[in-house]
Amino acid sequence: MKRSRILGPVGFVWFVATVGIIAYATRLALFVAPTEATMGNVQRIFYYHVPTSMLSLLFPYVNFAASLCYLYWRRRDPLKALTADAVAISSAEVTVVYSSICLLTGMLWGRAAWGIWWTWDARLTSMLLLWLLYVSYLMLRKLSSTGQTHTLAAVLSVFAAIDVPIVYMSIQWWRTQHPAPVFGGGADSGIDPSMKPAFWFNVLGWAMWGIFILLLRYGLERRRQESEQDAALQAIEASLEIAQ
Amino acid sequence: MKFSWIFNGTLEAHHLAASYLAVWLIQGGYAAWIGWHWMHTKRPSSAAEPGLFTSEDDS
Repeated sequence: MKRSRILGPVGFVWFVATVGIIAYATRLALFVAPTEATMGNVQRIFYYHVPTSMLSLLFPYVNFAASLCYLYWRRRDPLKALTADAVAISSAEVTVVYSSICLLTGMLWGRAAWGIWWTWDARLTSMLLLWLLYVSYLMLRKLSSTGQTHTLAAVLSVFAAIDVPIVYMSIQWWRTQHPAPVFGGGADSGIDPSMKPAFWFNVLGWAMWGIFILLLRYGLERRRQESEQDAALQAIEASLEIAQ
Repeated sequence: MKFSWIFNGTLEAHHLAASYLAVWLIQGGYAAWIGWHWMHTKRPSSAAEPGLFTSEDDS
């Protein structure tokens, strides 16, 4: 009997390397990086909050590109369109996971550093909007029963991607409670060199994890699509047999 | 930083620990959700060639 496994050898090696890097990065963040002068130890949330926030602004573009491909291929090449659709739903889910973490860790940090859980400033509000857009995308796909669900979702994803540059630029365009950009925010931006290893290892580790779960979810979606195709073919064959 | 600092009972310590735990729980939970659905999604009979993360195995 043939049995399929969720991880092949490459996937397993990737998974082990990712977990190792995240463990090492977490050790650097909690125990090796120096304590920040103003906020103290709670600033260590930064090492998880900023990398996941950066990644939550990258995965929407995977969703955007896949949705455009879906819209292009849906009549020209339905099989390629299905593949693009699987990438689209996978990246939308990963976006929701990363943006949820961004919002949650941001609130936990904000309560400790500012004394408030939430404020309706441009960065926080635009990030919440991004989260809502991708949750709406997933709800549409889950609950809509029209034959055009995938097309509607692809169009929604194109509009949702417009929010990404707004989130990114919000702390430069408007005065916000949220701090200015840590990198590329002018002469005063940047972090102490002794904090950089903890930060960049976390960026690497969580980026590798994001790619890992994206591909894993893509594999699951393709499996589900093929299973549905099989069921449809079997139903057609059964109806033909009855007709004969 | 000593590990015991995380459990010293201050709001900062609680929020730092909660942040890290929340990240692991959300990411681990999502990966577990994918794994559970993988196990409970019928494997198609016309399965394609094994990809980057999947393979076939005789058992």
